[in-house]
Amino acid sequence: MQNAQLLDDRPPDGFLRIDFDRDRPETTFNSHIGTLYAKRGPKGTRDEFVLGFRVHQHMCNPAGGLHGGMMMTVADLVGTMGGGTLVGLRKFLPTVSMTFDFVAPAKVGDWVEGRAEVVRQTRSLLFTNIYLTVGEEKFLRASQIAKIPSGEGLAFGKAKLDRSAAGAPRQD
Amino acid sequence: MSIPPGFRELTEASGFAAANGPWFEKIDGGRAIRGFLPGPQHANALGIVHGGMLAAFLDSAMGTAVFHTLNRRAVTLRLSLDYLGPGRLGDWLQAEGEVVGHDEHVAQVRGRLYGPRHEVLTGLGAFALLSRQRTVMPRG
Repeated sequence: MQNAQLLDDRPPDGFLRIDFDRDRPETTFNSHIGTLYAKRGPKGTRDEFVLGFRVHQHMCNPAGGLHGGMMMTVADLVGTMGGGTLVGLRKFLPTVSMTFDFVAPAKVGDWVEGRAEVVRQTRSLLFTNIYLTVGEEKFLRASQIAKIPSGEGLAFGKAKLDRSAAGAPRQD
Repeated sequence: MSIPPGFRELTEASGFAAANGPWFEKIDGGRAIRGFLPGPQHANALGIVHGGMLAAFLDSAMGTAVFHTLNRRAVTLRLSLDYLGPGRLGDWLQAEGEVVGHDEHVAQVRGRLYGPRHEVLTGLGAFALLSRQRTVMPRG
């Protein structure tokens, strides 16, 4: 089933499926909304952490565009998971506040990418800007404040990039 | 936990709303209130309701408030959200919006999402009003 999904999604080179629900009995929201992928690039480049997914009908509104709720969910994840990765935090960062500007629509078949930019990190907060894009075109701009829990906290949902998929390149 | 009286299921939902529903609505004195019962499919890694799901749901309630107040379909231009407390699985969660101002093109809407014990999410949004001739369905 995962391979069928992979064929359907046709993720570009370097993207690996994110396994959010390892060892979990039930599917959680991040898996339920669709298959999400991530790509790790060289440190300090704009591709250091990229989240990606293919737009399907079940992510859309009745008008046939990518649903705003899906955009917000993914942007939230790019901020906490991507932003956390950029600053080297491997724990769950709860979102405190987010603002979204719905700049343009996206449609079924589009390959969406999300990138975070860290604005500032304090002891307890992480400020990020997030863009979702299709190709070169930005369609969602978001800014986020996330809490950095004291102590170890939960490792990010135990989410792992799935390297088992056929032909997936190793990337560490 | 059963659905509180007066709420009807939004059976016309499709796409994202249908995949993450069922969502319910009650019209109370011209005011639209939406509700849903979060299950495991709405949870994040902490076992509470995912912030994205809460955002999607509040957004839909705020868009509906525009429709019921101004009789105009609307799409979200900007949404600003503050997460106040966790949404718990199995708790009936409700969301509603209030149009606080508008001109011919844009409505300003305040929204709140709350559980049986506490406020969960608060929002402020700008919604672009579609022309009356357009028949685009609102979110959810």
